[in-house]
Amino acid sequence: MNQDQVEQEIVIDAPIERVWAVLTESEYVGQWFGDGTPAPVDLRPGGIMRLDHGDHGAFPTKFVSVDPPCALSYRWASGFPGVVADEANSTLVEFTLSAEGGGTRLKVVESGFTTRAPSPNPSPDDTRESHEQGWAAVVGKLGELSEKLAV
Amino acid sequence: MTTEPVAAEDVFAALADPTRRRLLELLSQRGDATATELAGDLPVSRQAVVKHLVVLDGAGLVTGRRDGRERRYQVRPDALAATARWMNQVAAQWSSRLTAIKRLAESAEGS
Repeated sequence: MNQDQVEQEIVIDAPIERVWAVLTESEYVGQWFGDGTPAPVDLRPGGIMRLDHGDHGAFPTKFVSVDPPCALSYRWASGFPGVVADEANSTLVEFTLSAEGGGTRLKVVESGFTTRAPSPNPSPDDTRESHEQGWAAVVGKLGELSEKLAV
Repeated sequence: MTTEPVAAEDVFAALADPTRRRLLELLSQRGDATATELAGDLPVSRQAVVKHLVVLDGAGLVTGRRDGRERRYQVRPDALAATARWMNQVAAQWSSRLTAIKRLAESAEGS
């Protein structure tokens, strides 16, 4: 179980095709992510979507999968403004859309925070079995501990 | 992500390794421990534990002080708490983007 991720979801009172359009069309992307100016979107696997993050720079994200109107994913090198996202420098952002009643449930998962940066000392004793305890659980647990210690 | 401190990158890299996560857990349970004591609870050598502790120290996750011939380590909670807060910020940013998508989709509906 990979806990190296952030998840959010929302229910939208609009048809799935409409939500897909807002998610992928240049003029809308510029509004929900950027400063309002249309964002260049080359909507195909391997295509680039340029996200303008204002003072933080512009991010050429790269589409991994484009499956209208149900699924969209791209890589985002949020630590490297101006650099095209690849598997080594980025997190994976995955949108999932599903029709629900007359509306749409939209879910986003961003994952890969620990794997994007190369570990300075790769461990020879890094076994798959020991991956069952995700780092997020450790952060959560120790975060609680830290609050107790801080009191 | 609007607030991405370099420190968070170091913490993520340090936490990417399961042995290091286990070390943090052991240290938090014990309060403090030497590399020799920690190696006794893990299927790795003392030398390997020392290397992992150096990485954890570099990420600000543990701190060591001299105790006779060895160093005695304990968890430094600040970097972990900061990382937990950073993850919450990432989630909050996605939440506000989803809200913006919702507003756009719903307002454009009738037009």
